[in-house]
Amino acid sequence: MNKPIKALNARSATGKISNEAFLNRVMFLVLIVLFALASIFIDKYFSTATALNLIANNWYIVILGIGVTFLLVSGHLDMSVGGIVGMAGVLSAYFTQPANEGFSELGQGLGLPYGVAILLTLLVCLFIGMLNALFIAKMRVASIIVTLGTMSIARGIGQVAALGAQRSAGLPDLFGVIGNVPLFGPIKIAAAIAAILVVIALFIEKKTSFGRRTYLIGANREAARLSGVKVELHIGLLYMLSALLAGITGILLASEMKAGISTRGAGFEFNALVVTLLGGASIDGGVGSVLGMVIGALILGVVSSAAYGLLLRPEWQFILKAVVTFLAIIAQRYLLDRRNK
Amino acid sequence: METNVLQIKGLVKDFPGVRAVNDVCFDIKRNVVHCLVGENGAGKSTLIKILTGACERTCGSILLNGEEYCARSPKDARDKGISTLFQELNVVDQLTVEENLTLGIEDTTFGFLHKTDKIKKIIDVLKDLEPSINPKERVGRLSVAKKQIIEIAKAVASETEIIIMDEPTAALSESEIERLFTIVKRLREKGVTVIYISHRLDEIFTLGDYVTVMRDGMHVATKPIAEVKDRTELVHLMIGRTVIESYVPKEEQSDEVLLTCKDVCNHKLKNVSFNVKRGEIVGFYGLIGAGKTELARAIYGADSYSGEIVLKGEKLKGTPEKAIKAGIALVPEERRTQGLFTLLTIKHNISAMNLKKISKLGLLNSSQERATAKNYIEQLNIKTDSMDKETSKLSGGNQQKVVFSKCLFANADLLILDEPTRGIDVGAKAEIYAIVRELVANGKTIMFFSSELPEILHSCDRIFLLYEGEIKAELQNGKDIDSQDIIHIVTGGAAS
Repeated sequence: MNKPIKALNARSATGKISNEAFLNRVMFLVLIVLFALASIFIDKYFSTATALNLIANNWYIVILGIGVTFLLVSGHLDMSVGGIVGMAGVLSAYFTQPANEGFSELGQGLGLPYGVAILLTLLVCLFIGMLNALFIAKMRVASIIVTLGTMSIARGIGQVAALGAQRSAGLPDLFGVIGNVPLFGPIKIAAAIAAILVVIALFIEKKTSFGRRTYLIGANREAARLSGVKVELHIGLLYMLSALLAGITGILLASEMKAGISTRGAGFEFNALVVTLLGGASIDGGVGSVLGMVIGALILGVVSSAAYGLLLRPEWQFILKAVVTFLAIIAQRYLLDRRNK
Repeated sequence: METNVLQIKGLVKDFPGVRAVNDVCFDIKRNVVHCLVGENGAGKSTLIKILTGACERTCGSILLNGEEYCARSPKDARDKGISTLFQELNVVDQLTVEENLTLGIEDTTFGFLHKTDKIKKIIDVLKDLEPSINPKERVGRLSVAKKQIIEIAKAVASETEIIIMDEPTAALSESEIERLFTIVKRLREKGVTVIYISHRLDEIFTLGDYVTVMRDGMHVATKPIAEVKDRTELVHLMIGRTVIESYVPKEEQSDEVLLTCKDVCNHKLKNVSFNVKRGEIVGFYGLIGAGKTELARAIYGADSYSGEIVLKGEKLKGTPEKAIKAGIALVPEERRTQGLFTLLTIKHNISAMNLKKISKLGLLNSSQERATAKNYIEQLNIKTDSMDKETSKLSGGNQQKVVFSKCLFANADLLILDEPTRGIDVGAKAEIYAIVRELVANGKTIMFFSSELPEILHSCDRIFLLYEGEIKAELQNGKDIDSQDIIHIVTGGAAS
């Protein structure tokens, strides 16, 4: 009787790591292999500049991926984030543009201080998140349907507010600051914000009851309810969180370009979902991690930059991305099944 | 022709760290009902999985009609003559009975379906087995029992030699069970060999010709039922120790009323009123569909109701989360879909109902969580090599102990147990009964809902009989108990 109890004190009696840790290691290996392959075939790919660019060009997918990961872990999809990115960018510009009569319609805004404009923008994003929460958590409509709808609504608001184009005229200098503060090399402050958000998300995911409840709901919604988890409220909060993160992303991207472009963020919802799945999350919920998602985002980044470096014509990039994604996810499932056999 | 339809020789199956099936040898005679019993984790399921092609053997041989047999998938097994009636039935609810029966063997001309002799034959088999099933009926509207019969008909029509039935009576009512028994006997007459797995030992005596007992992955005995003296002998073979105890009345009774239900009604319940005293084990017995689960869920706030439920003088207000706060915990009827997070580890399951206790300001304290898990794993004797193991990998009895741990950690005064021993083996059942007694000794109160009379009689101080959503009688255990009367009442007879 003494032996098994002793074993329980060890981190893991069988010496086996969890499935999640296993997948993260596998995907990290995939990342290294892809990076090595790219370095072999592409001249000068193996450099600090490449590594820095990888971070500089993918921070926004990582921020979106945080919200999408939490939702996917809880068993829900969020396809509205791309639309919200576009909307947030346009609205932050519209709220900040000067209110004088003299400008053309696209140059006329509300003339609010930038800080107030950011707050207002985030409020509108939260409203979209609340719509998701209402229909999905409370009325139990399938999340894919609702969030495809709210994606269109958000995109539509952006389009209307930017008259189908972009808002950039008359923006104060302050508008372009936050997205362009350089840190080192090509990396700007937005990437640092993404890194901070990732650290916070990792902490919430693994160390708080909030994170744990997310897993409980995704693993078995009914059992979670019967265990006293306020399931509806929790899912609602996750959607608001995801919308808020998408709003932050949209504001940062608009600041970087110093323009609120209504088509910005098109397809981001798919990329955010892909990187989350690459990170080992299950579409059925209960499984997934922010760390995996970050690795997934880097994998997608390596593939994109390698495609560029290989001088593939841009129209081929999508197919290359698709092939790598498929292979990675199939390999992942295969290894996991074999491990758990 | 060989007299043995199936010969198993030196069969071994290794999982990482465990030898689930260890050098098993026995024969199954043609044209008999051959029962397979053993505690959970005894290796029955693994053996069945090997037979049906759901997993591969490590070594050993299986001979079907004297020839080496190896199935690559359940479909392959079926083609070779071994069909299985799984606990999770393989029917499509949205289709009709006929469409279900012909699924996968439809004949088409230019893409249009047409009836062939093959299909007519299947329908005839079904009519032969159970004339009351209308082939045009949608399967989703049929009872579990009838769905089973559809699967059996499909197997019989494909001229299967062996049908494996895995706990077929687990979800059936008494009358349905009897009908199933008639069908099993008919199958035997038709020349089909039935491998029958059940935890209900009485069934084995009524139905079986032979019985094989397994324990800890090993073959213990195979003998004709006629040579098994009684239940106790079988149980003894299964667990190697005697466990059945009879009901011992409690010495002192508290008079403090803990829970009162007054005129509780909902879609199933009709004016249910009763009270539960502190420290009691109160049993609720009735057949499937009598309203047991509905009552348990109403008290817990999982389903809506009208009427009044009062705990310790305070009215309960209908959500599980508030019920837990008030001091109630539920061990739900369906372990895997309602009680357990099978994807998650043992320790994460155990803490799920009371994250507050292992956290401060929302921050989890993982060493406290590990200590909690360790405590319950020892206390309830959960068999596992690690608390970081996913609960999907545990046997049924151990899974149920994890659900119990979860509810105990919620620190409830009143535990509602809904079919707490369903689908778990005799040894684990005895352990669950012992846990229940110990809980009461430690001041907890138990409401025990079950459709197995022996366990109700074994454990409960007071018993309510339910029929069609109503309480039909209240009995004091140890005094006015007559099993025949009880069966009479719960099947709709008037209370005497």
